[in-house]
Amino acid sequence: MSKVNTVLGPIPTEELGVVAVHEHIGYGMPGSELDTEWWKSPEERYEETVPKLRRFREYGGGTFVDATGICNGRDIDHYRSLSAKTGVDIIACTGFVGGDTALPFFARASVDYLTEQFVHEITVGIAGTGARAGVIKVGVSRGGRMTDLDRRIYRAAARAAVTTGVPILTHLAIDPEPAVAIFAEEGLPLDRVLFGHADDGLNAPKTPHEWILSQGGRIGFDTFGYETELQDPPFWARPRRERLDHFVSLLDEGHVDRLLVSADANCSPLGWPGVKGHTVNYLFEDLIPDLRGAGVDEATIMRLLRDNPADFLTIQD
Amino acid sequence: MTDGQPDGSATVETVLGPVPADDLGVVSVHEALLSVFPGAEYAFDVDMDRSEIFRTLAHRLMDFHDHGGRTIVDSTGMFHGRDLRLYETLSRSTGVHIIASTGMGPEEMLGGYFLTPQTNPPTPWPAERFADLFTREVTEGMVVPRLERRGPAGLVTVAAHPEGMTATEESLLRGAARTSLTTGVPTSLRYGGDALRELDIALDQGLAADRLVVGGLDRKDAVAAGVPLAVARCGTYVALDHVGLEDDTHVTDRERAALVVDLVEAGLGDRILLSSNATGKAVGHPGNDLAYSHVLSTFVPLLRASGLHDEDIERVLVANPRDLLTRR
Repeated sequence: MSKVNTVLGPIPTEELGVVAVHEHIGYGMPGSELDTEWWKSPEERYEETVPKLRRFREYGGGTFVDATGICNGRDIDHYRSLSAKTGVDIIACTGFVGGDTALPFFARASVDYLTEQFVHEITVGIAGTGARAGVIKVGVSRGGRMTDLDRRIYRAAARAAVTTGVPILTHLAIDPEPAVAIFAEEGLPLDRVLFGHADDGLNAPKTPHEWILSQGGRIGFDTFGYETELQDPPFWARPRRERLDHFVSLLDEGHVDRLLVSADANCSPLGWPGVKGHTVNYLFEDLIPDLRGAGVDEATIMRLLRDNPADFLTIQD
Repeated sequence: MTDGQPDGSATVETVLGPVPADDLGVVSVHEALLSVFPGAEYAFDVDMDRSEIFRTLAHRLMDFHDHGGRTIVDSTGMFHGRDLRLYETLSRSTGVHIIASTGMGPEEMLGGYFLTPQTNPPTPWPAERFADLFTREVTEGMVVPRLERRGPAGLVTVAAHPEGMTATEESLLRGAARTSLTTGVPTSLRYGGDALRELDIALDQGLAADRLVVGGLDRKDAVAAGVPLAVARCGTYVALDHVGLEDDTHVTDRERAALVVDLVEAGLGDRILLSSNATGKAVGHPGNDLAYSHVLSTFVPLLRASGLHDEDIERVLVANPRDLLTRR
């Protein structure tokens, strides 16, 4: 039986439905919890989050993958409550958004220890909740090149992925050569890796999409909606048309099986203001109409939003 | 805020509220209560049982009290396991005054929020932002992350890398000094590579020399270079704050005692502070096995044997920390 770990327990792959593969209930850099500027009451957090998840479900969304790493405000009890009350399946991750979001205890840890941490969170549970991680998050630190710590985290993630069968999703797809080398050395097939944020305005020009695809990796266009057209766009924004054209060109080249899409939105940001008006529901409200407008057929849209994520997320035996 | 005049109205901020400065008694100015290596709270194999942590710390505080100690300063700052509600309960249960600190450092112990913020480029925080963060921990109360503020911090503590202060650590120190200027609580610096240069960075902000304590001055390199005397001559407090620790980096207790005598004989007895940097309960790092009572049980007899008079010892243990910690 193929299955996936959600925060409320394993579910059959068949139940996933339409998946938002790289999202956040709430993200904050480690230390932001000390700054009252960002604090929200539990009432505010639910008020900001529940309607978005409810709408996601009304639109036909099934599963929300939370890519908030350890130390970034990952909050399993909160996710469990949200999932149970809204009916949206939520998949939590183990791992780190990048070396620069791993606190000193983990920054100093060995590859073996990090591997043990990830495997424990996937097979036993996260922080005593019993909820098991369904994906492993890794990423490239600020600065554009993989740091030594980033590499140790990638290696530990690769070992945990090989051991447990859970896939890896990355924050940033720049400087992918060291990552691909690590995955090869650890014997992890590259279709178990989603190279994410390959589409944002800052990093897309530096990301070797064709090379990653030629190696067998999956590509995430998972910052859909962070657009320069927004009233107050973030520094990683990109013109809407440019991103869409780029994406459609990869579809036209026949890469549909290797592409995943998401919005990387925060339901209720924890350590930054977030981007007003940008939610996970961009997928339904903007992306699907845009894809249709660009001539993409319904079968392809369902492959992108349902079948590819199911392939990717299913725990390998 | 009090004006800090020695007229009985001077107070010190403890976790249970302001306490008359004259009630502090024997103070240990640089200790750690719950000491969590940042991130260890998320480790799969770390189990933080509050009842067990409480029992351990209460036992150690009672031992301190039994030896005549009355006030402990938790000098670990805001991001190393500080647990205010636990400290309030501990203080009520043991009768030991607990003074908690704001501040952070060294740089490698900081969270990414301060070092690689979500801006392009990811410029580390400047001094004024640290000053604001720390000042509000005094004027509005110390934070329990994402939950509430409790009582005001009693001091600001920052630390630098032993091989030399980084740019961000300079920002931390400037921010701490500005906090002291604004709020009247002192700054504690665990110095990095060059105590005198770093001290100047704090004083450049306009901070009075006696509102600053420099810790780590019982390091071998500092003692060999005569730094403790030089710091004391600036009017700044000198903390010999690893009493009981004998390792490759620090001088022995016997050498510490000789240093105290030297300072007293040089007329600088009013600048000396003693502490052990004992870790009451360490999580995610080895900590040390020192008792908070080590100074009183073991080091004070050594001072007496070295010929130090009781009034000098009393000054070091009671009057000096009182003067430093009194909010001005």
